[in-house]
Amino acid sequence: MKLSDISDKIGKYFEKGRPLHKLYSLYDAVDTFLLTPKEVTSGGSHIRDAVDMKRIMITVMIALCPALLVGMWNVGLQHYLLLGQHPGFWQAFGYGFLRWLPLVVVTYVSGLTVEVIFAQHRGHQVAEGFFVTGFIIPMIMPPDVPLWMVALATAFSVLFAKEVFGGTGYNFLNPALVARAFVFFAYPSVISGDQVWVSGVDAVSCATPLALSLNGAPEAMPSLWDMFLGAIPGCMGETSKIAILLGAALLLFTRVASWRIMLSVVVGGWTTAALFHAAGYCPFAGWQQLLMGGFLFGAVFMATDPVTATHTSSGKFIYGALIGVLAIVIRMVNKGYPEGMMLAILLMNIFAPLIDYCVVRCRIRRRKIRISRHKIKL
Amino acid sequence: MHYKIKKGLDIMMAGEADHRTEKLPLSRFCYIHPSDFRWWKPKMLVSEGDEVEIGTPLFCEKGEERVRIVSPVEGRVKEVLRGEKRAIESVVLEVSENASLSRMIPFDDALLSGDECRNLLMQCGLWPCIRQRPFSVVPRPEAHPKAIFVPCFDSAPLAPDMDLLLGDQLEYMQQGINVLKQVAGEQVPLFLCLEQGGKNDFFESLDEVDCQYFSGPHPAGNVGTQIHYVAPLDTDETVWYIHPLDVARIGMLFSTHRLSFATTFALTGPGVRHPHYFTTVYGTDLSALLEQEKNAQNVRCISGNVLTGSKMANHLSLRFYDHQVTLVPEGGEREWMGWLKPGFKKWSFSHTFMAWMARDRQFSFTTSLQGGRRNFVMTDVYERVFPFEILPLELLKACLIKDLDQMVELGIFEVDDEDFALCEVVCPSKMECQKIVRDGLKELYDSTDQAVR
Repeated sequence: MKLSDISDKIGKYFEKGRPLHKLYSLYDAVDTFLLTPKEVTSGGSHIRDAVDMKRIMITVMIALCPALLVGMWNVGLQHYLLLGQHPGFWQAFGYGFLRWLPLVVVTYVSGLTVEVIFAQHRGHQVAEGFFVTGFIIPMIMPPDVPLWMVALATAFSVLFAKEVFGGTGYNFLNPALVARAFVFFAYPSVISGDQVWVSGVDAVSCATPLALSLNGAPEAMPSLWDMFLGAIPGCMGETSKIAILLGAALLLFTRVASWRIMLSVVVGGWTTAALFHAAGYCPFAGWQQLLMGGFLFGAVFMATDPVTATHTSSGKFIYGALIGVLAIVIRMVNKGYPEGMMLAILLMNIFAPLIDYCVVRCRIRRRKIRISRHKIKL
Repeated sequence: MHYKIKKGLDIMMAGEADHRTEKLPLSRFCYIHPSDFRWWKPKMLVSEGDEVEIGTPLFCEKGEERVRIVSPVEGRVKEVLRGEKRAIESVVLEVSENASLSRMIPFDDALLSGDECRNLLMQCGLWPCIRQRPFSVVPRPEAHPKAIFVPCFDSAPLAPDMDLLLGDQLEYMQQGINVLKQVAGEQVPLFLCLEQGGKNDFFESLDEVDCQYFSGPHPAGNVGTQIHYVAPLDTDETVWYIHPLDVARIGMLFSTHRLSFATTFALTGPGVRHPHYFTTVYGTDLSALLEQEKNAQNVRCISGNVLTGSKMANHLSLRFYDHQVTLVPEGGEREWMGWLKPGFKKWSFSHTFMAWMARDRQFSFTTSLQGGRRNFVMTDVYERVFPFEILPLELLKACLIKDLDQMVELGIFEVDDEDFALCEVVCPSKMECQKIVRDGLKELYDSTDQAVR
């Protein structure tokens, strides 16, 4: 018996009027996860591209993997270094993996529960967007964040940043960032300050390079090479710049993420940081700022979220550049909270529809001019 | 002038037609579908059992009896099939034995004025060969366009070769062009849209035409793209477009007094045994031919190309405006973890499958949707295959929320659903872009004043 036949057989119990119909969305999610849908085209184009949302999302997850793997190793490394030990690769990696595993399980369980309930209630299929959100959330939380907090933050973000607006595709805020912002504002003690970035060691101050750079201790900064490789305290996902760049390369090559946004965030951030440096606010050159904190991670994986970014191509340049500018400005001006990337992206998420509106009006005007020019030619 | 189209996509598909033409004998039945003529509410002019000749009016648009569809063959009306709400689905004609392919139409061609030409075209059922942008409808009898477009190449997947389609009809082209100019008015420009670097000698030698050259990937050959680049439409303007074969048909009527609905089509696609060209009469029953030519049991028969054609349901026949029949194997096979596999054999415009390495290879397609329907998520895929100065995503959204003003401002008058076919193909959310645009156009059409149409 073929697997598809078995699935069809089980599916009968979930049909309308049958006892398990209340769980149809869950069945459908598992069914289409295991087997490609059997639906064929009806009208319109008779053939379709092989790419679907599942493929897009899995590509993003693959792109996240290098940063995640290096991040796991780094969490272990920082832990043992602070205890005065020098761990082997597998020892450090194993420690980091064990810190990550409960986080990701809790995130998926809590987020998918909300997602499935809503899909069932609306009679929709379960959208794949949360697979990426749930993958990112553990990567942007401090490694020792209490699990119940992650569960609460995830449920809050899926519910209030996405589902109340209609689900994936209708949300205007990046759900992963909303989860982080929720923890940041509701439980500031677990996500800010110098004592949260290294796992398993209580009350030992270990500032991130970003905090050091801004609070007058640049001599304690790790080497640029360490910052590039990722052997520094910080969130799991954001520390290794080389791993993030690997992910960025994959996203750009597969055309899943917009190069316009990535480029303009980097250019905007770099220019602003260089200006601050030139004005004497900051001892670090513009490009060094890009290696600190979550700037690069935000630029590659968060700002490029196609739903919450601007939808027009020219709007993407404005949107990205403003994120870069704002992130550095928040960093430089508000020294109490060095990580400006999260707030910059969330703020620009809110402004994205306005940018789009302006771009659309411009395009309409340009079209009118184009038509009037052609009239004369005829 | 030469226009280089940069955005777009050529889909490499198996099943290109060999350059040989076979003459197909008339089959017993002929099917005419009123749905070929967009948004018509047909009114029957014949009843079941009536004898018909070539050129006998079968039905007309309700409220406009001058614009009629005529019988392409000699025979008898066997049946008028009705569907939902008694709408006419098809008119079935039984073809007489030894029927001829053309009929002499007597008229005095010495001093035909523009209006007389118009009336003759309408009488002979050739008026519907002309279509009008915006809306891609048959123009009203008194309409005047700002330009006429004759797209002389097709860039769609497996598109037929124009030289083979035209064959010996080429000689009537000039006469057809003269008639069209007379009908539309001498000052109205007639654009021949040619492929840069193609075999254009004949077209270039024609008089009273304005040759425009296009190069680049599909949709360079779509008339919508050509209109957009050569003469973009303002809200109060209309243009006409007509297939070269129909120009020749008109030319033949006016130069030899013979009315014929003989046509040539290419049988193509990955579901065909021996893809090649056939000459026949439009509407003729193709079931025997397709049964013999298809290479698998479950094959979808499409009149037209694979992007915009219509699925032949019960009656397998060539539609009025089509010169291509495509057979594609039906999909629906379920694949274990298909979204996770490397995908060496999966055609995709994105680079998310390994098959990007061999995109020039001819792929064998099926009709699988290849994914689930989702909301709009990706925002820049459409623009890569949409060569218009129009924001595709915003236009689709305006159509979905039925914001008529926004639709018009964004430029819906210039496009037709076929211009969104590539967007539909590459959409990862599996949106039905063509249907969305068509529904938007219908909404607009219903709300516009008759005179403006």
